[in-house]
Amino acid sequence: MVLKIANWLDERVGWSGVWEAIFLRKIPKVNWFYTLGSATLFTAVNQAVTGILLTLYYVPTPDHAYDSVQYITTQIPMGWLIRGLHHWGASAMVVLTVLHMLRVILLGAYKYPREVTWFTGVFLLLIVVGFGFTGYLLPWDQKAYWGSAVGSSIAGAAPVIGEWVLRVVRGGSDLSAVTLARFYGVHVWVLPASLILLLGIHMYLVIKIGISAVPQREDEA
Amino acid sequence: MNDKKKLDRRGFLGFATWAIGGIIGAGFGIPAIAYIIAPAMRKEEEQEWIRLGSASKVELGTPTLFKTKIEKQTGWITNEEEVSVYVLTENGRDFVAMSNICTHLGCRVRWISDQDVFFCPCHNAGFAKNGDVASGPPPRPLDQYQVKEEDGQLFVLGG
Ligand code: HEM
Ligand code: FES
Repeated sequence: MVLKIANWLDERVGWSGVWEAIFLRKIPKVNWFYTLGSATLFTAVNQAVTGILLTLYYVPTPDHAYDSVQYITTQIPMGWLIRGLHHWGASAMVVLTVLHMLRVILLGAYKYPREVTWFTGVFLLLIVVGFGFTGYLLPWDQKAYWGSAVGSSIAGAAPVIGEWVLRVVRGGSDLSAVTLARFYGVHVWVLPASLILLLGIHMYLVIKIGISAVPQREDEA
Repeated sequence: MNDKKKLDRRGFLGFATWAIGGIIGAGFGIPAIAYIIAPAMRKEEEQEWIRLGSASKVELGTPTLFKTKIEKQTGWITNEEEVSVYVLTENGRDFVAMSNICTHLGCRVRWISDQDVFFCPCHNAGFAKNGDVASGPPPRPLDQYQVKEEDGQLFVLGG
């Protein structure tokens, strides 16, 4: 019965072809370093799930941000777990993204025909770092505030336009409610949307081109 | 999977992937549910005795208004809320405490002493001294609080 419904649907939707293309595709004999991208993808899903859960209680204004975060960690059951997963997952994602990139570099996987996969990867790295930077301010405690004050001031060091860029980043000359609101907006809307778009292209190319094999010595190849 | 055939490597890995995936999914799903429904699981805040003031302030046979503030906790926010209670006594010993909220649509009623009536300005309702509906649309008498007197002080049960 289930099979009949599944077949009926597949005949019209064709999902088994998609499934095969994604999960049953042929790959060369590779090693564990080739799982680093999937590991990064897993942390990305973790960040999305736990991040969405955090927005159920978090309020991005100076008078509520800190209290709402404390409320999540101390009053809501499993709140400590959800926040902890998001907090540590953020660091894990940066580390894994960099390791994944290193494997791509060291095994020469960025070469023809995978240059575009690499380009999208560069932007993905920027997005991951952007997530970390904007997310750091959101708890609005002393560490968040002063960390972001110092972090954002780096923008001001650029010649000529630095001062102006800094004002754009902060939404004014100092850290304020405006800064918190825009960091939040970037963290939960701009960056996730960009991540989905670029990751979509990245994964499409990985599947379409197929992943590279481990490079061999000339005489063995 | 075919029961008769021995579980091969491919079948085992496929099964293990689903099993581990299921465990991870439950590891996220179950805490997520607890986290989402938490505010609804919180038991209603217990009622407390709220001190209104000295019982001697109540005039015999005249509803007397007491106003006091209570603290309400919602999420991480503590709010001050005003509680207004009309207290009536005929003998100085037995007290009736009535809410000043109209039972029609929630406006505030006011005691008009020269007409001997609680008046609600919203839809011209009148309540008698004991809270019974005298005129207008309200469906039931004014709500009453449980009330007690201790050391000359009046308390109502609310929250
Ligand atoms: C959000 C971060 C990222 C995710 C989730 C991600 C995910 C993946 C996945 C699942 C693969 C399949 C092969 C593998 O796992 O090694 C892959 C391949 C690839 N990635 Fe990423 N990636 C990310 C960031 C990057 C970065 C920062 C770069 C480099 C700048 C990069 C460049 C590549 C390239 C060139 C391939 C093709 C490798 C091959 O065909 O062997 N990726 N990526
Ligand atoms: S609310 Fe009081 S009469 Fe309608």
